[in-house]
Amino acid sequence: MSDNTTTETVTLTVDGQDVTVPKGTTILQAIDQVGTEIPHYCYHAGLSAPAMCRLCLVEVEGAPKLLPSCVTQATDGQVVHTESENAVGMRRGVLEFYLVNHPLDCPVCDQSGECKLQDYVFTEGRERGRSREPKRIFGRDDFGGDVLFYGDRCVMCTRCVRFMEEIEQKPLLTIVDRGTRSIIDTFFERGLEEAEWGGNVVDICPVGALVSKDFLHKARAWDLKHTPSVCGSCSQGCNIDLHTRDNLVHRIKPRFNADVNGHWMCDYGRGNYEWLNRSDRVEEPTFVDDGRAVQLGWDATLEALEQRLAGVTGGVKAVVSASWSNEDLGAVAKFVESLGGGEIVFRSARAEDESPLKGFPSLARRRDLVPNIKGAELLGMTRVGGDEGRGGLEGVADHDGLIVVLGDDLADQDESFGSKASLFVYLGAHTSVGASAAHFTLPVSTFAEQKGTFTNHEGIVQEFLPALEAPGSARPASYVISSLVGAPA
Amino acid sequence: MAITVKTMHRPEPGQTSYLRAAAKGMILTLRHMLSPRTVTQQYPEEQTELSPRWRGTHRMEVHADGRPKCVACGLCPTVCPANCIRLVGGEDDQGNRYPIVFEIDEFRCIFCGMCQEVCPVEAIHLGQHFENAEYTRERFVYDLDRLMEQDHPVTLLWDPSDPAGE
Repeated sequence: MSDNTTTETVTLTVDGQDVTVPKGTTILQAIDQVGTEIPHYCYHAGLSAPAMCRLCLVEVEGAPKLLPSCVTQATDGQVVHTESENAVGMRRGVLEFYLVNHPLDCPVCDQSGECKLQDYVFTEGRERGRSREPKRIFGRDDFGGDVLFYGDRCVMCTRCVRFMEEIEQKPLLTIVDRGTRSIIDTFFERGLEEAEWGGNVVDICPVGALVSKDFLHKARAWDLKHTPSVCGSCSQGCNIDLHTRDNLVHRIKPRFNADVNGHWMCDYGRGNYEWLNRSDRVEEPTFVDDGRAVQLGWDATLEALEQRLAGVTGGVKAVVSASWSNEDLGAVAKFVESLGGGEIVFRSARAEDESPLKGFPSLARRRDLVPNIKGAELLGMTRVGGDEGRGGLEGVADHDGLIVVLGDDLADQDESFGSKASLFVYLGAHTSVGASAAHFTLPVSTFAEQKGTFTNHEGIVQEFLPALEAPGSARPASYVISSLVGAPA
Repeated sequence: MAITVKTMHRPEPGQTSYLRAAAKGMILTLRHMLSPRTVTQQYPEEQTELSPRWRGTHRMEVHADGRPKCVACGLCPTVCPANCIRLVGGEDDQGNRYPIVFEIDEFRCIFCGMCQEVCPVEAIHLGQHFENAEYTRERFVYDLDRLMEQDHPVTLLWDPSDPAGE
């Protein structure tokens, strides 16, 4: 929304409170500004409003009937009542009609706990339904991709149809049949496996009609802890919430950010969370002392490393991963600089092309499939290796000076990597064959386990918060390194 | 406080006799021997009748085809104040939601009955049962099969004819 001083504004009254909004704002958005929430299904801030759910009806003085607030523009001097007898009575009536066919299967429904119908009916619905007719039964349908459709639960808000038409612009969903038999469906053999942003229809579905197959029956919505984070699957840097329980990531949901990703995120990023739950983690700091691997805790390990660093010769070479935060990468850069400087490289997977979201031009699944490539480049690190994120370490593998590896799990390397180095320090999250020659193996946390920032492809620096507890003694890499260079990261 | 000496005046042997007290005791014993009123209960040969609202070890109700009634909705582990229920939901071959893992730690359980009260499908119940002795601690974590095997009567959390308890 542009600056209010230059835009024409209108002032209206909502439930006795005056509110000034730019001209062209709908009543629903004005109500939102007052802080009242008006129930609505078909309206979604990121989509067009067809005014078909009839839930956001409000009483406007002077109007002969209740008006759908999602499409009615606010005008000067309008007096809106959302809690009047008429408006509340209408909502109760509409909700009762929704429950004529909506099954009461909340105990087995994955949406339970974050379901709009549940919320609305608990708030102002009838205590008991009066319908004596049998409910219509559609059963469930596999929509392809990660999406499962429970037809009985659908409230026909058509958000999913409009998302596919307006935002992804690949109309794969439609309404078939008419009247009470109308239902969302795919086109014959085609399905959402053709979509690359299809997971968003699960998010915008206000009830449990569209559910994620991956998340099906996995956890209850109220058990999940939501932690604001940034997606680590490409350089777009979509704002996300990590939904965790029992120290495991259960799913990823987009978090609204008008500048980066709006309400949406891609299916690739949504599904790419299992690596955060991997159990093959480096847990304790280990170093090789007289040919023996010893674990003496952080203090003794770092002390020993400091002693070894004093006598190291032959220059420094560092390999980092662009999935680590700006703070961690900056700490490595500073560390290398304090040792006289050296080459810092990173490898990253790169897709063949971008996968843009047509209805939201600034959003795409970018080519670089790591979150912090811009941050690494700004710190003077260079990308090496192929598009699959492998290779390019020939110069490092046989280096005879100091090798520092952060985050890169050296999956394509064998035991000989770094075996000629006078000192090989592996700051890693996952155990790796490539790191078997390491003199110092120091456990570090992933981005989901620490606070930090990523720089996205446009240079926007975005913060994420710790959602999981790091295993064992793992610490953020910046803590580990800053205790070596003696400066805060 | 000043230290004082208190002299106890005990009866001399000639002044008293145990016979009176002994006779009194014997009369009491004889009266109980002849009385028809018995207090001692011959447990375990004779079982106590438990109150219908007795809250003892759990049992899981089953459908006629042997499936548990539980639909893994997750309300009982949510409401459980002792955090003694572990539940992992899943889908069976007929597409029904069911508990893959359902465990109740009867040691942690405080037998409040809230799991039974909250259950939307009347699957988990407390039982009118208290004899749970085991040889190992592990056996007190009842898994789904064990809960389904229990056959004692279930608890009535309230009197059906007087649900408000008036």
